[in-house]
Amino acid sequence: MNLFLQGGKVATEDAAPHRADVWIVDGTIQSVAVMDAPAGARVIDCTDQVIMPGMFDAHVHFREPGQEHKETIYDGAESAINGGITGVVMMPNTAPSIDSPAMVQRVLELGKKCRIPVHTSACITVDRAGHEMAPIAGLKEAGILMLTDDGDAVPNAALLRRAMEYGREFGMFFASHCEDPQLCGPRALNEGPVSYRLGIQGTPALAEEICMDRDIRLAHATGARLHIQHVSSAIGMETIRWWRDERGAQVSGEVSPHHLMFADEDIGDYDTHYKMNPPLRTREDNAALLQGLKDGVFRIIATDHAPHTEFEKSQAFVEAPNGISGLDTALVSLHDRFIAKGEFGWDLLVKRYSAEPRRMMELEVAEVAEGKPADLLVFDPKKETTFTKDFMKSKSSNTPFLDKTLKGSVEMVVLGKEILLER
Amino acid sequence: MARKDFLDIVSLERSEIIQLLDQAEPFKDLFTRSVKKVPALKGKTVLMLFYEASTRTLSSFEVAAKRLSADVTIFDVPHSSVTKGESVRDTIDTLQAMRADYIVVRHRLSGQPAAIARQTNASVINAGDGAHAHPTQALLDAFTLREVYPEMEGRKVLIMGDVLHSRVARSTSTILTKLGVEVAFCGPGSLVPQTRFRRFTNYDEALRWGPDAVYLLRVQKERQEASFYPSDREYHAVFGITEERLKRLSDEGVYVMHPGPVNRGVELCDGVLDYERCLISQQVENGIAARMSVLYGLKPQLS
Ligand SMILES: [Zn+2]
Repeated sequence: MNLFLQGGKVATEDAAPHRADVWIVDGTIQSVAVMDAPAGARVIDCTDQVIMPGMFDAHVHFREPGQEHKETIYDGAESAINGGITGVVMMPNTAPSIDSPAMVQRVLELGKKCRIPVHTSACITVDRAGHEMAPIAGLKEAGILMLTDDGDAVPNAALLRRAMEYGREFGMFFASHCEDPQLCGPRALNEGPVSYRLGIQGTPALAEEICMDRDIRLAHATGARLHIQHVSSAIGMETIRWWRDERGAQVSGEVSPHHLMFADEDIGDYDTHYKMNPPLRTREDNAALLQGLKDGVFRIIATDHAPHTEFEKSQAFVEAPNGISGLDTALVSLHDRFIAKGEFGWDLLVKRYSAEPRRMMELEVAEVAEGKPADLLVFDPKKETTFTKDFMKSKSSNTPFLDKTLKGSVEMVVLGKEILLER
Repeated sequence: MARKDFLDIVSLERSEIIQLLDQAEPFKDLFTRSVKKVPALKGKTVLMLFYEASTRTLSSFEVAAKRLSADVTIFDVPHSSVTKGESVRDTIDTLQAMRADYIVVRHRLSGQPAAIARQTNASVINAGDGAHAHPTQALLDAFTLREVYPEMEGRKVLIMGDVLHSRVARSTSTILTKLGVEVAFCGPGSLVPQTRFRRFTNYDEALRWGPDAVYLLRVQKERQEASFYPSDREYHAVFGITEERLKRLSDEGVYVMHPGPVNRGVELCDGVLDYERCLISQQVENGIAARMSVLYGLKPQLS
């Protein structure tokens, strides 16, 4: 492999993109500088394009084992590549749940057959049932990056406290899906004028706020490192800010593209593409979350990629499963909605969707820099992408972006010695 | 009105509502004649698909359809609360073969009639879905109120009770608002959500607002079981129309409405049913005329 990306701009996490050519030989970046094409190199014209490190998604629901009709691990990884993402962390709510060292090994084995690294988290409690502590030391040994009962909160505060106390010895990193199990109700949409109009019991933002406060207090008291997954509400975001800034709590936050972009009013007449959990809240929450991202309250962006089949999503709103497929669309939609409109720059994107998620997971950070392994993508901000079923590599196409055309296109993905994608 | 379906009030224009109300009047006049039928829907089939038991609404639709000379088929569906949306889709596929022109649906899931409407060319009429909508009830309520107040603009209606779980509250408040009536809600704080409507959690305060009619909602037993309020006795004492409150309504000439069936001793006392301004039996009668008007006004898209 001898590749020369000519004429583009290189994006980094701490500065605006700068003009540089990138020369890669056998999976290693030889140079990042304005230069003439080296003899023998394959030259790719990257004029007006942005070259940046591969993205990393720390919150994906691949459906293997158990629900391969929605998505296999391989499909999920291909969907990630299609979206410019070169590493993921799976959530443990498969069937059966990832709650034992044997299950971790099984999933990681399947992950090895993919073209990008597939990491996994595991459950805090056995089968995510909230009754017994999962074998934390064994899970760590098996290679998990994080513990979470994602999909639900640990309902029992005493059990979560003990897990945090016990897990500290093993340097465990905890993540919380924050929703008070009683307050949240049936979990179909946000509580507010839209839930009233549609006649469906809503989930109040209060359910998130209260649980978040509980989990951060427990982590703070026990000294556990805690990450709050998919924050959906303005007060939820402020809760993290307050604990971090006023009390020095070791807590990080995560925001998903859909919670930045959509609100419950988009549900319109029971459109299940907008049904996810935590639910879409209001336009005011969208704005507050965006501000939180700009202010650095959110350490990372993650999709909560949750594929479901068309048939499953065509059920009545209350019965359709929660979730949005996100990997194919994340980067282009973030560009279309925010970068192209000047809301934030490429540096923020690289920091929050590539560098920080890897740092948080204690993995090597991908960089477009001399001597580093190639882990990058080429993005064309002028081209458009239409998210047809055929275009998307996810097995499911449950996204409001289905058949929509957005600004921006992932043109090329390079990882190590392989070109994973070239349009 | 060239609509295929009648699913909710929200999507109706004011002019369409008025047309439906006007159209219901000659149908009502018919009831006092010896021959109560018109041949408007002769040769058409109306299929009743009630996933939630409701003898009253089912009978009302049945009588309405028959007075329009339609053939009526009552499809036997399991009244189980676990009927999934999925099996409804299969049922509709099966029913396509019966070539019904109208399907009247009641279902416990909000949005289910809309889903059925997308699946079939027949006209779908929502006879109540979850806590979402009950548009024919709203139409008959508006019709009933218009009989006592031909000029509806500026009138005030207080809707009392379990607003949170009530499709009647949603549809009736919407239709009245579209007709220029001012609506307020009253009930226990746990059962009256914050909406764009004025909200009272105190009966006397609500009455001081000066309603022309009080619309009582049916209080479901299961709400007490789920601790939305402590007991039926306390509900009656604090929010029910007691004999004493009835006296005050009578003094002020306030009408009382209720979608039925009533819970005596909970939302109202026995005396309400004999009250001269109680409109409950008119509502039942007007229900038939209103539903005739809806059936008559829809246009199925069958080839
Ligand atoms: Zn979650």
